[in-house]
Amino acid sequence: MAGLVPPGTTTIPAEASKTAHTKAEEKTDYMNLPCPIPFEELQREALMSLKPETFEGLRFDFTKGLNQKFSLSHSVSMGPTEIPSQSAETIKIPTAHYEFGANFIDPNLMLIGRVLTDGRLNARVKWDLTENLTVKANAQLTNEPHMSHGMFNFDYKGKDYRSQFQMGNGALFGASYIQSVTPHLSLGGEVFWAGQHRKSGLGYAARYETDKMVAAGQVASTGMIALSYVQKVSEKVSLASDFMYNYITKDVTSSVGYDYILRQCRLRGKIDSNGCTTGFLEERLNMGLNFILSAEIDHMKKDYKFGFGLTVG
Amino acid sequence: MASKVSLKTKGKGGKGSKGSDEKSAAQCLKDWSTWAMKKAKVVTHYGFIPLVIVIGMNTEPKPQLYQLLSPV
Repeated sequence: MAGLVPPGTTTIPAEASKTAHTKAEEKTDYMNLPCPIPFEELQREALMSLKPETFEGLRFDFTKGLNQKFSLSHSVSMGPTEIPSQSAETIKIPTAHYEFGANFIDPNLMLIGRVLTDGRLNARVKWDLTENLTVKANAQLTNEPHMSHGMFNFDYKGKDYRSQFQMGNGALFGASYIQSVTPHLSLGGEVFWAGQHRKSGLGYAARYETDKMVAAGQVASTGMIALSYVQKVSEKVSLASDFMYNYITKDVTSSVGYDYILRQCRLRGKIDSNGCTTGFLEERLNMGLNFILSAEIDHMKKDYKFGFGLTVG
Repeated sequence: MASKVSLKTKGKGGKGSKGSDEKSAAQCLKDWSTWAMKKAKVVTHYGFIPLVIVIGMNTEPKPQLYQLLSPV
């Protein structure tokens, strides 16, 4: 049979075969798409850059590890706390809190509990039943009646999709689904029903990401449209921008921010269309010792918040 | 108790007994589940942090009891 094969066909040029092979690799394999990120973390890069946890006053956090998996945390915070008021002015009362927490972190089970001096408990549980099924629970319990909240989530992770079912108190039910459509694009939707307030809603989301940028958008029937774009300019610098529009109440907010992750510190800042600028600095003084500075200046409401803190462990 | 019974007969009249039995079965279920949720809330409120501490103290390598309290 070898004599029948014309000799010309056996001498395929090496370069042509290489390019043909790489082209085949670049062509998307729709059966092997990556697993998308969870629906609630769709805009996580933008949230991390644009919404750091600013605070006012003093904050001191001490985490003591007793074990690889078990640690206790003590947290003291002193400063003015805003209380909701009818008038346009913000009313602040000075308060001081001590919060004790216990964390147990295992590959399959995570238990985090925090209790404040006024008796409020904040509990989070995450349990990986199997490789694909996860149960999460989140509760904020107080001593006051009717002010406690609890929520259970059941997550199922498939090969290139994720689905989640939520149940909360006050007859709150929700479900969400997100699917990878191409290696870069994932689309998803969610639906929720709140029995107590007799409200239901539907939402759609899309996320396009590459190595250099992430663009995400979300539309909900509650009137919210949220778009965000994050560009990773270099290893150390990311720039982010965010646009939120409520087509029912006609509220618009847009913000632009940066995130510098340097060797010894992480600096985040943003400026808002509501006239609010934020800066947040976390400086690593030593191994396990972090110094935090937080500033939030709201020119429209004339509300100036500055905070400093130390995190140990 | 006597006043409650008399109110029931006033309100329901002739169809009294059967209607009130069916309602009370569903009502019983609701009451039990509300009672169970209230107890579960109290148990979680007081018992979650001790539960985490007990689970943590029993993992390897077992930490000593004084390590819970000392800041070192």
